[in-house]
Amino acid sequence: MENKAPTTFADKVRAMPGGENLDLCYSCGTCVSKCLIQQKQEPEYNPRMLLKMVMLDMEKEAYQSPTTWMCSACDLCYQSCPQEIHISSIIEAVKTLATEAGYTTPLETVTVDENKCSGCGICVMVCPYEAPHLIEKMADGEMDRFSEVDAELCMGCGICVAACPMGAIARPGVSNPEIHEQIAISPLKNTPSLIVFICDWCLRADTDTALLESYPPNVRVVHIPCSGRIDPQMALLALESGIDGVLVCGCAPGECHYKRGTYVSSCKMSLMDEMMGQMRLANGHVRFVQIGTQERGRVRHEIDDMLAVLQKEAA
Amino acid sequence: MAKKNAKPKLAFYWASSCGGCEITVTELGMRLIEVGELVDIVFWPAAMDFKYDDVEAMADKEIDICFFNGAIRSDENEHVAHLLRAKSKLLVAFGSCSHLGGIPGLANLFDVETLLERVYDTAPSVEEASRGTIPQEVTKMPEGEINLPLLQKRVRSLAQTVDVDYFMPGCPPVVDQVWNVFQAVLAGKLPPKGSVIGAQEKTVCDVCTRKKGDRTTRIKEFKRPHEVELDPEMCFLTQGVICMGPVTRAGCGTPCLNGNMPCRGCYGPPDGVADQGAKMVSAIAALIDTDDPAVIAHIREGIIDPAGLGYRFGLAESILSELKYRK
Repeated sequence: MENKAPTTFADKVRAMPGGENLDLCYSCGTCVSKCLIQQKQEPEYNPRMLLKMVMLDMEKEAYQSPTTWMCSACDLCYQSCPQEIHISSIIEAVKTLATEAGYTTPLETVTVDENKCSGCGICVMVCPYEAPHLIEKMADGEMDRFSEVDAELCMGCGICVAACPMGAIARPGVSNPEIHEQIAISPLKNTPSLIVFICDWCLRADTDTALLESYPPNVRVVHIPCSGRIDPQMALLALESGIDGVLVCGCAPGECHYKRGTYVSSCKMSLMDEMMGQMRLANGHVRFVQIGTQERGRVRHEIDDMLAVLQKEAA
Repeated sequence: MAKKNAKPKLAFYWASSCGGCEITVTELGMRLIEVGELVDIVFWPAAMDFKYDDVEAMADKEIDICFFNGAIRSDENEHVAHLLRAKSKLLVAFGSCSHLGGIPGLANLFDVETLLERVYDTAPSVEEASRGTIPQEVTKMPEGEINLPLLQKRVRSLAQTVDVDYFMPGCPPVVDQVWNVFQAVLAGKLPPKGSVIGAQEKTVCDVCTRKKGDRTTRIKEFKRPHEVELDPEMCFLTQGVICMGPVTRAGCGTPCLNGNMPCRGCYGPPDGVADQGAKMVSAIAALIDTDDPAVIAHIREGIIDPAGLGYRFGLAESILSELKYRK
């Protein structure tokens, strides 16, 4: 009898959506050169090697590889793969198998506080990774609806943290109280103060990353995993505390590390801008910019420009 | 000296409001008679013949509980707010206007001069003969002087004016919640000072029974309720109609949703939301179709009056108002 079920690890991956392209890879490594994760987050991260591991049936090694867990499917590699392999699909297939085999994600992921969750489903709709879903269960003697997050699917981008109306979703490092603590600074006298909320994925050049550490205290840089983590309330709270300007930097459309974060933030900031205009508030105090991964030096230009505008207004 | 076992003294007042909060109290119907037997109503301009002088004559803290509805729009509103604060043991901001500024708070979108010009000069409904005649604080007439309270430059909530003990949201608060609160007050079962009463902690979505959106929900443009044939079973947001439910405290019993209309946000934001409009933007951006880069412009075009939507009842208390009117 012929057994049609995939037997080897490589066959299991090949049998999954996208996995059929596995053998097209000739290990040129272009994907690695394009990948921001290897550069910015994890030197061991390497899609080329992961695909090779799969081809060589190195199942356990593949499951333990950071590549399996850290790929956010930004697809910068897909755009330049000479074989047009949708690499993130193959990595996703490996992750699915790893999860089935009982492996867990090494990433910081979100948690839901059921005492706060209203079950509105906003997080379900906003998540680029289909990590949250609504469940129904008994609470205080009644059926109630809650959000539940599949940690293995969560990439920790924080987009849902910003979207959740109840502040019920937390992610270590970028939860509301932690961000608010960084906003609550005393503005300096006689110098315009600026808060820069920045998604680090849009800065490919090390000089740009280093620049952010070099500003004087009137420029406070708050690192967020994705511009989608921005809640316009953060900008308003900063202005209310006396900060003069808020600059939000995200990735260029099509380059968002978390697929849709930069679009979501763009929509939020655009509507907030309109509401502030309706209120006849002076414009230019809250700005949203989308920086391409190739736009070396742009962040300096944006910060300097905004400081100049605020300085001129103060004079 | 107050008599032992004397009935608690109640006051109702309306500042800048429409009268809907008064109506919700009268909607208690026969239960109002029960209330009347348990308390002494010592001031209620809308329903009983008391004057400001009667209140001025009271001792401080003589009123046990005062339900104050309406925003603080004029010098008169502010004067009476201070007066009733001094004369009342407990002051309750009753209804959206008192709680958050309410509909009158939307006036903060404009300056007072623009508003007066519109109302008394350029509005089509103004009679030609009186066009441009703007009421003044003092007007001399043959019979004597007419005095009017001045409009203040911004609309404020009650808590932005005086110290408030409790907040009861709603435009108007629904009658069942009014009854709940009256019973709690009479039984002396009140939560800590500063609490929102007559409402729930979670949002309208928590009690809404409509089918929620899922991962396939992707909105290309938002429409106004009259432009869509609304499915009574589905979440409004998934139908491309903005509903304030996600950023609004539950407790109303969802009469708007039951009438197949989206929540307008009158019960105000839940605890933890600093600015209802900004949070509304955060929530609705979640639904947009991000596969289409042109969609953001469509979204913006489809929402004609975002501030009016997001701050319909809360503009006066919003951070936007704080930014506009701070020194």
